[in-house]
Amino acid sequence: MKLLEAWRLSRLPYKEVVYKSIAEERGRMWWGGFGRGRLGADAQNDLELTKKALRIAKFDKSLVAIFNVLAAVIPFTAQFFGSPILGLTSAISLSLAVTFGFTALYAIQTLSSFVSAESSALLSILPLEQRDFSLVTLFSFIRSVDYMVVGAILSQVILVAYYTASPFAVLVMLVASVINAVLAVAVALWFSRMFTKNLSRGGRSKGSSVLRLVFILMWGSLLMGVSLLISLPWYIVPSLEMTLLSPNQIINVLFCFLHPFSAGITIANIGHPVTAEFTSYIAAVSMVGYVIVAGFAGKWILKTVKRISHGTDIKISRVTAKDYSIKTRNPLFGYVLKDLKISSRNPATAFFFALPVLETVIVSFMIANFEVLRASTLLVSTFMGGIFVLLMPLALLSAEGTGLEYTKTLPLNVNRIITSKTLISTLTYVPVPLVLLVMAFLKPLTSPFTIFIPFIVILAIASASILEIQLFLSSVTTGKIAALIHDLKKLIVGVTTLIIPLAAYALVYLISLSHVFAVLGMGGAAASELALVVHLLRRNKK
Amino acid sequence: MSEPLIEASELTKQFGSVQALTGLNFQVMPGEIYGLLGPNGAGKTTTIKVITGLVEPTSGLVKVEGFDPIKNPIEVKSRIGYVAEKPILYESLSSRDFLEFVASIRKIDQNAANRIVTQLADAFDMAKYFDAPIATLSMGMKQKVALIASFIHQPPVLLLDEPLSGLDARSSRIVKDLLSFHTQKGGAVLFSTHIMEVAEHICTRIGIISQGKVIAEGTLDQLKSKTGNKSETLEEVFLKLTNEETEVADKTRLLGEAFFKNEAA
Repeated sequence: MKLLEAWRLSRLPYKEVVYKSIAEERGRMWWGGFGRGRLGADAQNDLELTKKALRIAKFDKSLVAIFNVLAAVIPFTAQFFGSPILGLTSAISLSLAVTFGFTALYAIQTLSSFVSAESSALLSILPLEQRDFSLVTLFSFIRSVDYMVVGAILSQVILVAYYTASPFAVLVMLVASVINAVLAVAVALWFSRMFTKNLSRGGRSKGSSVLRLVFILMWGSLLMGVSLLISLPWYIVPSLEMTLLSPNQIINVLFCFLHPFSAGITIANIGHPVTAEFTSYIAAVSMVGYVIVAGFAGKWILKTVKRISHGTDIKISRVTAKDYSIKTRNPLFGYVLKDLKISSRNPATAFFFALPVLETVIVSFMIANFEVLRASTLLVSTFMGGIFVLLMPLALLSAEGTGLEYTKTLPLNVNRIITSKTLISTLTYVPVPLVLLVMAFLKPLTSPFTIFIPFIVILAIASASILEIQLFLSSVTTGKIAALIHDLKKLIVGVTTLIIPLAAYALVYLISLSHVFAVLGMGGAAASELALVVHLLRRNKK
Repeated sequence: MSEPLIEASELTKQFGSVQALTGLNFQVMPGEIYGLLGPNGAGKTTTIKVITGLVEPTSGLVKVEGFDPIKNPIEVKSRIGYVAEKPILYESLSSRDFLEFVASIRKIDQNAANRIVTQLADAFDMAKYFDAPIATLSMGMKQKVALIASFIHQPPVLLLDEPLSGLDARSSRIVKDLLSFHTQKGGAVLFSTHIMEVAEHICTRIGIISQGKVIAEGTLDQLKSKTGNKSETLEEVFLKLTNEETEVADKTRLLGEAFFKNEAA
């Protein structure tokens, strides 16, 4: 079979993969997202659903590719954001690290369906040779990440060409970008297989549940941490550059061994020698090592894809149940537990459970440099922590997937669905005030009353979550632009709800110059918000 | 005379330009298994979805034990057990997790839930699959999970959309017996199928639905008498009543001719 023909044919299993990965999040199509209609009307029209899923996939893919290119470019532009130096070593390293994270994060969304969805079953009934069959499956796999990988590689290579004007540096950058992409895809594929294997095994072992939680936390913290890097290039680039180029031999040598720093040091040294000869040699040798590792990773990817195309990749082992006993719970707790289970078992949403870790890190990071815990510091850090929580309701709604159709046949008021998701979202924020409370013992506060600020924000988080979910449930959109406006509306409503109590604090303080009144004003605003949204919720009889 | 457990009167439902239901009328009394029989796209699934409250009718009236599914959704959903045509469940949950969720939402007493789940899961021989994620189960196994979930609260009304599809002979038999026990206790079953033998054997009354309305209704004997030939099978009765008998005969004849012609060529 000709390569071009195989590439063309690979559209079919690829479409199946993206359709499955999005169809599993059918909630997104019913509740806003792209296209019109709600449960019932859409359920009758599979053709419309398919079109919608493919439209979402194409749009998502292009958007993520643009975002990935931006992520690759931003570290190189740190100077424009206030960085005192142009740190080529750190810019290359950071660019590779961020694109690694984004590629892996996006790949895991589609690869889980690729691993588990019998994507190639459609082709297995056609008279194709096994070799061609594997080739088509491989191409359909490549299609999942093609835009973003090519976009990142091209932008990194062009930027290095611009800054170094050295053809050799450009060539090495090309190699580094390719191995970066191969390693990212290998990690995502490995993780998708781990998830699918863990799920397929079943059973009630507490050990496997704990293991899954550890994976979720590690994976989520890593990826969200990586995505955080992009927001702080002006801060990170100078300090990373200083660390990478520091005369401290031990730290230098350690970085030389690590991807992507080895690539960053090697490429920057080709243009203008910036580190000691010894460290640049170690970095170069280490990079060659990573090329070999990427080679093995690539081979492993090919082998795995081949096994997937043969349908022999994941074996399902059944654990016989010892009894059929079930535990009944209070309906709300039952719903919360169900939400936690389904979203933690979906690789596309599981990493959101790392939010508490990430928020804690952000808040600690933000206040670590201050001698005194000022009210403004508390306001900004709690707001930053809260922004991340606003992503949680979307993740929980997406994780509902097609199972929601069954839930709609249960005697369940929609408010219970909203309350369950609000509880989970709010709980993911709780570590923030606790961390700040601990910090308050270590650092003096401008006023002891300000320690109530992060606790009051809990109320605002709950209100924002309720409003966001209500908007999701009520949104019916007719096209891409309308859907984007809807998504923005949800976000704006959430952020505004979060800001109002903080603004109330600032306003009352400016008028009264008293932290006590300001805290009371903030508490009043947050409580009023919550009372209002609860009132709106109670009016909902459906 | 007792009140009907399910009542549909002049039901219509329009999806865009498609008229799925066009003035549908029927009643299901306590102790009845009412078979909704019709060709593909006749409106069987839409009818059941309207009764569950999943789909809002364009016009007409539906009542379950006197409650309107749109005005009193919680009351209706507490009184029904529903099995969808394609069992759409939470795929990442195990059967145990899923049944725990359903029992919790339905506020079922722990002992009662345990008793009924144990009896049904044991009857369906689910030990190997009870803790496996639903995503990894076969269509028949998923159907069993959906059936257990529909019986878990022992509702007066069962709405079953093609409940036997994918089930093995043993499980089909168990389901048929369960439906029989359910109606003996005064419950009602609305059962959609296009398999004539199934309807012939288990339904007390049959409603033949075509193009969104019930075109004939009654016991098997009453339906046979409508065609004037008591020796006919339900399939023959069905094709006659839906005016498809001549068309099907013509198509089959043409297919046969083409088939043997291809072979000769």
